[in-house]
Amino acid sequence: MKLEIGNIFIKDIQFAAEAKIADGVLYVDKAALEKVVLEDETIKAVSFDIAKPGESVRITPVKDVIEPRVKVEGRGGIFPGIIAKVDTVGSGKTHVLKGMAVVTAGKIVGFQEGVIDMSGPGAAYTPFSKTLNLVMVCEPVEGLKQHDYEKAVRLAGFRVAVALGELGRNIAPDETKVYETCGIKEGIEKYPDLPRVAYVQMLQSQGLLHDTYVYGVDAKKTLSTILNPTETMDGAIVSGNCVSACDKNPTYVHENNPVVEDLFAQHGKTLNFVCQIITNENVYLADKQRSSDWTAKLCRLLDLDGVIVSQEGFGNPDTDLIMNCKKIEAEGVKTVIITDEYAGRDGKSQSLADADPAADAVVTGGNANEVIVLPKMDKVIGTLDYVNKIAGASEETLQADGSLVVELQVITGATNETGFINLSAR
Amino acid sequence: MDRGYILTNNPLVVEKLGPGAPVEFLECSYKAVLEAARDRIHQGAKLLSHPLSGSVKPGETPYKSVILVNGKGDVDEQSLALIENAILACAKFQQRCDRYRPAVDLDCRLIDWTLLESALASVIV
Repeated sequence: MKLEIGNIFIKDIQFAAEAKIADGVLYVDKAALEKVVLEDETIKAVSFDIAKPGESVRITPVKDVIEPRVKVEGRGGIFPGIIAKVDTVGSGKTHVLKGMAVVTAGKIVGFQEGVIDMSGPGAAYTPFSKTLNLVMVCEPVEGLKQHDYEKAVRLAGFRVAVALGELGRNIAPDETKVYETCGIKEGIEKYPDLPRVAYVQMLQSQGLLHDTYVYGVDAKKTLSTILNPTETMDGAIVSGNCVSACDKNPTYVHENNPVVEDLFAQHGKTLNFVCQIITNENVYLADKQRSSDWTAKLCRLLDLDGVIVSQEGFGNPDTDLIMNCKKIEAEGVKTVIITDEYAGRDGKSQSLADADPAADAVVTGGNANEVIVLPKMDKVIGTLDYVNKIAGASEETLQADGSLVVELQVITGATNETGFINLSAR
Repeated sequence: MDRGYILTNNPLVVEKLGPGAPVEFLECSYKAVLEAARDRIHQGAKLLSHPLSGSVKPGETPYKSVILVNGKGDVDEQSLALIENAILACAKFQQRCDRYRPAVDLDCRLIDWTLLESALASVIV
């Protein structure tokens, strides 16, 4: 499968009467986007704002971050099974509005989190301080239940991203990248001497604010399966989770998964990137048993030499991570696992809730309990009302001078377990 | 499939599942639910759901529900390791949920319920 990604570099975002992209500037028609959001009758109102790198702006509570894309050639459309009709994506040509993101924000539950600081020390800990952000805060109609509100905001974000992506349909990209994988037999013939490597991606799948969707299907109801990695670049996997924001994969990370990117960079050179295997992280232990059995079985069936396994989240998924690692290694396939750590504020506690000697190659995204002081920002998009209640915050969080004392776990993407940011530990 | 039962300190679980459901309600802390589960495991019970379900950490939510099934055999090593690690993990997080406002407390109950509900969906009765 072959996908051409055409990046249109966005250098600025401005509100305007007419929506368009011209000379790298994205002009956003607020009224038109408002209509797109309010198609859903459960959303009472929406406000849009723009946050740029370097500004004294704090966005919170962040729900999702989405990169606008549009399918210009090939099957299907962006976010298949959710916005576009179900069809296999990942081939043809896709245009991307590069350098910007749609950020959805709003309180769904009272202890929610997700902080993006556009400047100051916190900015170094989130990849989304470097993107031009169109932030949308959705207000629900009176009495809307949390499940329905979560879904409404999730889908509204995708609709807005698709509407913006459409503006790039007829724009000549500034940069083009080609990603191509082979069929099984073709790969063996083409790269007989290269190790066969796959990417095992674990997806959050535990319940409200802990879910992920694949082609529109709730990941907790899926068996481990195979994707062509380019499918994820067209939005085949989307986020429905946001609790403990440091190590959840926003949709933007699925669209730009760095493990996929790096494996493609080595494809045909040092390894043969065979495929992506997705598996879930359910609460029920028999589901874990089944999903990890299935993942290991697929690794063996594909005659892999090695896999990279990325986790999403803390605690419950630690068990899936170790189960996957042990069982895949037992099939004679080498593993490298990517996780993050909850090692306590002093860094001295046991980092994971599970472990095994088979997990002898581990990359960490850093210690999510590490404490950071975020100075006051001039402007807050969203609300600080709940900041004392968010994961990683405490009753002393909001200081008299307006600064926040928090653990890294409140910051969107701070310890991302696909390595989407450079934080690690030794 | 063995029929399990739920150990919980979350009133919403009792409310949602109604009278007659296999629920043991404990008026205790998050950690004490885990410790009660550990006691049962030492008596032969097995865990059916993960004790650290959810990304709302110990200390950030007061509520925990776990599904167990009674057994008469040896101690289940996997269950014991999971529950011991979960109890250890409680010490890593700051205690702050005791200062939540009532509305936030209800949200904590809801999230614990949805995590449990996702596991119950997998139980074949």
